[in-house]
Amino acid sequence: MKNSENIKSLIDSIQNIEGQELTFNEEAIKNEYENQNDEQSLAIKILSIFGGLLSCITFLGFLFIAGLYNSKEGLLVTGIIFVLGAVGLNKISDRIIIDTISVSSYVIGFTLIWMGLERVNFDESTIQIIFVFVGIATLILVQNYILSFVATLVTNLSFLALLLEGNQYDLIHLYTFAMVFILSFFMLNEGKIITTSKKLSRLYNPLRIGLIFSLLIGLIFLGKKGMLRITPEYIWLSSISVILFIVYVIIELINILQVKDIQSKIGIYIFTILILASTVLSPAISGAILIILLSFKVNYKTGLAIGIIAFIYFVSQYYYDLKFTLLTKSIMMFTTGILFLAFYLFTHKKLSENEKV
Amino acid sequence: MKRDDIHIISRHSNASEQTIQKALNSHVYSNQTDWKKFFNLFIISLGVGFTVAGIIFFFAYNWADMHKFVKIGLTQGILIITTSTLFFLKLDEKIKNIILTGASVLVGVLFAVFGQIYQTGANAYDFFLGWTVFVTLWAIVSDFAPLWLIYFLLINTTLYLYTEQVAKNWSITFVYTLHFIVNMIPVLFVVFSKNKAPNWFLNTMILASVTYATLGISIGIFEKFEFAFLFLIIITGISYVFGLKHGLQTKNGFYLSVIPFSLIIIASAVFINISNNELMFLFISVFIIVGVTFTILNLINYQKKWNHEE
Repeated sequence: MKNSENIKSLIDSIQNIEGQELTFNEEAIKNEYENQNDEQSLAIKILSIFGGLLSCITFLGFLFIAGLYNSKEGLLVTGIIFVLGAVGLNKISDRIIIDTISVSSYVIGFTLIWMGLERVNFDESTIQIIFVFVGIATLILVQNYILSFVATLVTNLSFLALLLEGNQYDLIHLYTFAMVFILSFFMLNEGKIITTSKKLSRLYNPLRIGLIFSLLIGLIFLGKKGMLRITPEYIWLSSISVILFIVYVIIELINILQVKDIQSKIGIYIFTILILASTVLSPAISGAILIILLSFKVNYKTGLAIGIIAFIYFVSQYYYDLKFTLLTKSIMMFTTGILFLAFYLFTHKKLSENEKV
Repeated sequence: MKRDDIHIISRHSNASEQTIQKALNSHVYSNQTDWKKFFNLFIISLGVGFTVAGIIFFFAYNWADMHKFVKIGLTQGILIITTSTLFFLKLDEKIKNIILTGASVLVGVLFAVFGQIYQTGANAYDFFLGWTVFVTLWAIVSDFAPLWLIYFLLINTTLYLYTEQVAKNWSITFVYTLHFIVNMIPVLFVVFSKNKAPNWFLNTMILASVTYATLGISIGIFEKFEFAFLFLIIITGISYVFGLKHGLQTKNGFYLSVIPFSLIIIASAVFINISNNELMFLFISVFIIVGVTFTILNLINYQKKWNHEE
């Protein structure tokens, strides 16, 4: 926890950057630090989510064994009560201890509502539209980390299901574009978003991780052959949206790295184009690269780890699915590897020299 | 100044978007040096990774007309070249370790080629045993966490295949007890020797040990009683008590979350063993929520206390 002195020095350094007199609500800042038992380590977040899901599964097990899923009205009403209960609990208190129960009750609620609506013969797309709206409403009402994260996933995945409804599998490219666009905008404009409103500022962290997972799920559908019957001729559609944003990040990067001479600039662009061109047929790989770049840029460790794991998985999956002989695959990979090693030897000196300056 | 500090201050002040962004840029985001390190590491890892993968696939291709001497000779040649670069090139310690890790994977290729020629099969346990034995020295010499991780992955695979192919009559509980012991060795070593292993490595090994203990006991509950089950309970109990104590001493919340969670799952298994009617399921559902919530609450209290002490 921070004492008043720490807070003062923090405020001072912000004040220095601004240059002009700023007004701070010191009382509120102090308060927030004091109530920050959500010094939430990753362990606590994972515990809440897994605990919530485990309890949710056993509860659904109870419903099935007890045969309580027979009445459609019963399902709907109970489902709505559970969702409202989760949201309400978080409204009353933002203590971290209600996280587990609210995740559990929220997911149970959605499952019951879904089963109920199916019984009443609602068609799938109406259910998905309802879910998207309930998800967004949750985000507006509650800014608790765990619940907002789950709500983000519910919203995005219902949107994905809605797009794919009626076997329109190629619409997944629209989903990739939407996710890549929102995620990049979100991560590159942190200052803008957290100063827009208090609500958005509180939603920033859960939305960011929720968006990363949402994009990742879309990428898995694209990256694993046979999961969706997409038209292979159009797979580059997703690549284009991803590549566009990667190039944008690279342009920003050239500014950060203060690359001034034309030679290095051209070198970076050629390198980027070479890598990206080789991934045109696998938007999943370039998508993982985008997650890595964005996360590293804003120094977001969890995102970086997720990106690296996804990258390794998608590259392996890509080569596994390729319909070449092992020999061709071997030559492709070997050449790529040697190119990277050569590039390393070539740039290594340059990069270390600059460091000393 | 951390990201959270900036977020909190921005919520309770009229600092402009530009100011907040500047604060983030200079205090939180990666700078020039970070990016350079990142690119260096990124490129060398991709280079080594793809090259090794290329070599593996090259030998996986069924070369009908290549003489076995050429095949094994080639693999060994590559292995010798890779390891000798470590002696002759002046490289950064980290880069050397990455190359040695690549070479360790090549040892596996060598055994696979051997297996291909003499038809021992690619998933025979002796293949993995050989691989494990021959990278042991390198793992010790480099003391490089990713290489150690591969090493323990190999031991676990060897053990798994051995129980599948040879010791078919061993019970699941006994097998999981062995896995638990194997994965506890690095944990105990790192904790007691004050070795500077990175946290992610220690946590991965702890997670592996706890997973085997949890599965072993939870499955054992439903099986006929045997000595291994009792033994597993005893060593798990001792390890958990020790782990909780160690977690409190080192102020590490990881122990205080993983161990209780494992206990909650084991308790749920006990409950289901008692009865599996609908009321029991309802009870377990509530029990998990209460248990996890209690764990989190406890963890928060400790974290608060630790923060005060700092």
